[in-house]
Amino acid sequence: MSPAAALRRVERAVLVAGLVALALLPLVDALGRPAGLFVPGGAAWVQQLTLWLAFVGGLAAAGEGKHLTLSTAELFGPRLRRAGHVLAAAVSAATVATMTYASLRLLAVQRAEGKVLAGGIPEWASEAIMPVALGLMALRFAWGAGAEWRPRLVALAAIPLAFALGATASGLLDQGSAAWLVALILAALVLGTPVFVGMAALALLFFLKDGAALGDDPGTSVSAVLAEVFRLISSPTLPAIPLLTGCGYVLAESGASARLLRFFRALLGFLPGGLAVIVIAVCALFTTFTGGSGVTIIALGGLVYPMLRADGYPEGFSLGLVTAAGSLGLLFPPSLPVILYSVVAGTREQNVPADGLYLAGLLPGALMIAMVAAYAIRVGARVQTRRQAFSWAELGRATWESKWELSLPPLVVGLFASGWLSMVETAAAALAYAIAIECFFTRDLHPLRSLPAALVKSSVLTGSVLILLSAAMGITSYIVDAQIPEQLVAWVRTHIHSPILFLLALNALLIVVGCLVDIFSAIVVLAPLIAPMGAAFGVDPVHQGVIFLANLELGFLTPPVGLNLYLSSSRFGKPLTEVTRHALPFLLIMAAGVLVITYIPGLSVGVLRALGR
Amino acid sequence: KMATLVPDGSSWHLILKETADQWNKLSGGRVTVRLFAGGVAGDDPDVVRKMRLGTLQAGLLTSVGVAEVDKSVYALGIPLMFRSYEEVYHVLERMRPRLEASLEAKGFVVLNWADGGWVHFFAQKPVATPDDLRALKLFTWAGDPKSVEVWRSAGFNPVPLPATEISTALQTGLVNALGCPPQVAVISQYYNHARNMTDLPWQLLLGATLINKATWERIPAEVRPALLESARSAGARLQAEIRKSGARDVEAMRKRGLNVVPLDDRTRALWQQTAESLYPRVRGAIVPADAFDEAQRLRDEYRKQAGASATQSAP
Ligand code: NA
Ligand code: NA
Repeated sequence: MSPAAALRRVERAVLVAGLVALALLPLVDALGRPAGLFVPGGAAWVQQLTLWLAFVGGLAAAGEGKHLTLSTAELFGPRLRRAGHVLAAAVSAATVATMTYASLRLLAVQRAEGKVLAGGIPEWASEAIMPVALGLMALRFAWGAGAEWRPRLVALAAIPLAFALGATASGLLDQGSAAWLVALILAALVLGTPVFVGMAALALLFFLKDGAALGDDPGTSVSAVLAEVFRLISSPTLPAIPLLTGCGYVLAESGASARLLRFFRALLGFLPGGLAVIVIAVCALFTTFTGGSGVTIIALGGLVYPMLRADGYPEGFSLGLVTAAGSLGLLFPPSLPVILYSVVAGTREQNVPADGLYLAGLLPGALMIAMVAAYAIRVGARVQTRRQAFSWAELGRATWESKWELSLPPLVVGLFASGWLSMVETAAAALAYAIAIECFFTRDLHPLRSLPAALVKSSVLTGSVLILLSAAMGITSYIVDAQIPEQLVAWVRTHIHSPILFLLALNALLIVVGCLVDIFSAIVVLAPLIAPMGAAFGVDPVHQGVIFLANLELGFLTPPVGLNLYLSSSRFGKPLTEVTRHALPFLLIMAAGVLVITYIPGLSVGVLRALGR
Repeated sequence: KMATLVPDGSSWHLILKETADQWNKLSGGRVTVRLFAGGVAGDDPDVVRKMRLGTLQAGLLTSVGVAEVDKSVYALGIPLMFRSYEEVYHVLERMRPRLEASLEAKGFVVLNWADGGWVHFFAQKPVATPDDLRALKLFTWAGDPKSVEVWRSAGFNPVPLPATEISTALQTGLVNALGCPPQVAVISQYYNHARNMTDLPWQLLLGATLINKATWERIPAEVRPALLESARSAGARLQAEIRKSGARDVEAMRKRGLNVVPLDDRTRALWQQTAESLYPRVRGAIVPADAFDEAQRLRDEYRKQAGASATQSAP
């Protein structure tokens, strides 16, 4: 077996074992709780497993070409494309090699900290997977520069070049040369460098440039990006992403789609657009629980997209719907962003209670969903999706056939809402249940022959998504570090003096920030700055909170950097340009919804007043 | 660059901003402090990691953050070891030289000490005795498996969770009790879902401002004393602010429906017994044994002095 093939086998084994262990640990805790049993130090191991899944999955994605790219390279002729491919590979190799170096700095710090995992293994030893996987990934990118040695060596040579440049950064990185490097990175992105590499490269460059101005050591500057990657991946609720994605894949790889489709047809097949409305409702419910981190698309997309297509919805519409539906539902309980907003925006003088925000968000949230649903029904009627007459007998048969899959959502929601399980435990239970039903009840998947392949596929996607998210966090942290949101707010404060203009500026500001920055950072950074401004213009604080959150939903869909566009493009293997085009009608509808919510405060605070609050 | 969990716009944040401006003036513009409040730079362990990496230079940390560097700081947070601010700060004053030297040896200079107020139990049912609490599901931080074991050993029912899940867990009933200072209960609105506060100051949530030693030494030596003085006075103002706001916060919550559960001497003694039964497991596993013993010795010394002066002035 060649070393490359051996590496692939090891990767697959790690991904399957890692995901299974990640599901088992929280389940043991959950099942043992009534008896007072738990895995000592289990939480730390869950974090380590997530770190392994992210980096090994990212490495595997590099091997399979599964990292998201802009796919604009096809626009060029064959010769230019070949040369461009070498450039893209060189930039990828150099960037990932720099990340490898930064991760070694991080590892040294973790080692000095000297924490030990349950079982006696030092934390840093497990975290060594970061430099190992990143280093192999850099080599893989260089190797992929071409089929011969010459392009490969050219790409490899970019690594020492980048290090030399980084080491002398203070001398070289003035405004002009930084602009050239930004241009080079953007060119590489257009020519096929993965998006996560482009984001990481920009973050590394910006931190280097700012660090050089302050006289910082360049090694320190670049490690800022890795510190952010590490922070994201070790955040306590993140393990839910690989688990829920795994659950979605297991269902998608089995016959669940077909059974569920039959059930929904039997239930709503007499209505035009019935299935699309169901998809919207299910996605919104899911987002409510996962907090709008884009998990909905990767976990549910693979399941519902084929159903929409089979029902006769156009490809573009289906793609757009799945992309957009992933950000609906943010305003309903128990969505975490609402709680976070209430915590961050509330002050001693002005309380913004979370339950008030949930109540005030009911109608606006429902309005956004209704507007998207109305559009879906119109499309459904126009393209004549499959309709069938309603029949109790068929509904009964279809329900019986899909009883296992149908029992999953109430089971999972019930376990969580009744206080039996935590968020991560619920995700673990969902994966375990999906595996159990598809392997042992419906027997669609063979536990040894087909299940591992499904788990590997899901972990490769999770790896590429987590690496993408963490690279985006790198940029976010630069934006926060450079205090850019504060500058935007200062501009608004000096230039805007009427409440109507203020609200309009607020809409625009939040869309820009919402698509640049993840939702949690956007709330933490912007809410405390904006809350007092709104109060000065006489905007109700709860109304402003609803505007704030509804606006951030739009940011997920706004080109060129809305996160859901990227996640959707990754999940369905469709070019980003195409996803953006198909999401546009939904973006416009939701934008109209946000304007209505903004200028009719009665929709949000009216409910509160009606309840006497 | 200095980070903290203190919320943006809070009165503590204002004190930090004033101090930042002062530092700029005192150093003749050579030191500029960029503040990152509200946890934007991460939780305490993230901030300490970034300080070690050098991407942040300073942080106002809780004892959880300081303990990432030296666990001895937990000696000041032993449950029911101290009865008052005076006791804690008396012991801290005596332990400071050793603590600060140990932190400095690990690359951090202490600029000031402050606290976040006394941790109280907030629960969905009134908790008067330890047995009342044993019947509930108590939030414990998942990052700290040792304290989970300590709670469990005393017959409590700890549920280890990430701090980010507290709100949701209180709503679903996964946990129905937690310990936190009144200030945190107000800001995070935990009291909305745990409407009974036990009138028992369980432990003080200590904090400190640390700065990277290398950064500190890059500041011209002649400027440092003035900066340190300014930071110390900010620490004193932070302490004063939290003492003032403690009672105010409880009052505000009471107006919005918080039930404060009073304790009589007998139940107080029960709690004291329970806490002391935990000490053998806390000592060594959570608080280094030498720090534990020193804190206890200094506390006893303080009580003896206070008792002596009380009898002297009493005749
Ligand atoms: Na949530
Ligand atoms: Na976003």
